[in-house]
Amino acid sequence: MKDSCSSISKLLEKYFDRETTGDEGILVQDHLRQCAVCQAQLKSMEELRTTLRAPVDEAVQKETFAWVWQKIEREIQDRAKPSWRESIRAWFGLSFPFRRRVWIPAVAVALLIIAIGSPLLFKETPSQTELSIVEYVQSDTHNVMVFESERENVAIIWLFEGTEGESST
Amino acid sequence: MALRRNRRRILYVTGKRAYFIIVAFVLVLAPLWVSTALGQVQTRLRIIEASNVGSSIDPALRDVHDDLGSLFNFTSYKLLKDESLSLTPNRPSEINVHKEVSLEITLTNQQKKKAVYQIRILRQGSEILDTKVRLSPGKTVLIGGPKHGQGSIILAISARF
Amino acid sequence: MGYEEADLISRCQNGDQVAMKEIFDEYRDKVYRVAYGVVRHREEALDIVQEVFIKLFRTIGNFKGKSSFYTYVYRTAMNTAIDHVRKLKKSTSLSFEDDAERYLSDGPEKRPDQVAMDKELEEKVKEALARLPDDQRAAIIFREVEGLSYEEMAKAMSCSMGTVMSRLHYGRKKLQQLLRGYVKEGGQT
Repeated sequence: MKDSCSSISKLLEKYFDRETTGDEGILVQDHLRQCAVCQAQLKSMEELRTTLRAPVDEAVQKETFAWVWQKIEREIQDRAKPSWRESIRAWFGLSFPFRRRVWIPAVAVALLIIAIGSPLLFKETPSQTELSIVEYVQSDTHNVMVFESERENVAIIWLFEGTEGESST
Repeated sequence: MALRRNRRRILYVTGKRAYFIIVAFVLVLAPLWVSTALGQVQTRLRIIEASNVGSSIDPALRDVHDDLGSLFNFTSYKLLKDESLSLTPNRPSEINVHKEVSLEITLTNQQKKKAVYQIRILRQGSEILDTKVRLSPGKTVLIGGPKHGQGSIILAISARF
Repeated sequence: MGYEEADLISRCQNGDQVAMKEIFDEYRDKVYRVAYGVVRHREEALDIVQEVFIKLFRTIGNFKGKSSFYTYVYRTAMNTAIDHVRKLKKSTSLSFEDDAERYLSDGPEKRPDQVAMDKELEEKVKEALARLPDDQRAAIIFREVEGLSYEEMAKAMSCSMGTVMSRLHYGRKKLQQLLRGYVKEGGQT
């Protein structure tokens, strides 16, 4: 019983979340018929879910959101501005170059020329930062050391755990 | 009036022709771009347990023993896992390192001789490290520190093009 | 994304306020559920809802349709709720008298001692959730309150499904420990 419990326990949560495959589900159901421990665990998860969910269901049911949209609308309206295109057009009084049939093909051709020409014009030369292996490192919970050795072509990122983390700066 | 109308019609026809020429260019050139862009990159991940218990070096780690020896002070290195990963760009893959620690690795950018990875180390599902590394042929990143038994885990990641 | 939703989003991107109201009506419950699930306080949850939709409409021009819109909404809602909790931790906590009044005035059928017990449980749940790491908390809310699938959660949290399951597992374990005595454990009557 113990062995099957340990293999089923990995599937139990998946079963509870209805994410098991057909075969996995049958395996769990068969085990549950005979195992009070796993049944109790499943029940425990159900109770936790009810505790977490019920107050939220109740709160949503009662909520009318009456004034929320008005506040949002006011915020959006305050921030509405004419687009830069409209501003330029209005100021210069231009219209012809901004017609779609003119600027769309013009932009497309320009992009094509850039796409073909740029690999030839701008050959990639590795900068000093390009040569490094580590681009960035972030940890909110541990002190971290980064060491890059060009000779060995190796970079080390070391996470200090436990008392090491407290002493290092 | 008739002249103006003709001029408009000519403009319209030219616009349409331009679209076709542009589309044809793109279709012709696209395979060239694609072919020069990517070969398949194989990502090698080795999970190593390093400790000061005993003084044995796993035979499978002989090729990196000199590197490990010059960079760390551990006396014993044991290879726990050696995997070759085929990563789909921008899709994270999770690998179990040990009971509570997992590695999430995503190939975020790939060029001819360079691969960029976002690597996250998670303990109990929570992130303890987030890093982005650039690997080209011959370069390796070693990420270490998480405790394991009486030693520490070192993850050795390299790319083969 | 359905054609209708794509059309709505496109109209929002062009500044159509009628379309924005439709998006608000469509998603406000979901956003409120996430917000309330995290903060367990009506006024704070409504503040978060307001903030989320303002953010969404301000940045909707950047939405390219690569992911589905609802995962984009969920991600924004959860990040905003978590940021809100972080900011609150730095300032004084809100009085719960408002909530007590609300509890006492809701439903004449609830006895005062039951109301007080519910209130105590809610406080315990709020404390327990606050003690979870952000990513475990997000996983718990998405799954237990919103009922998202593992795949949807992975997209909303930009991680793998394996990570989703790991966060859920450790989150549930920790909550069960923290709420022992408050939540019936399986087999107890």
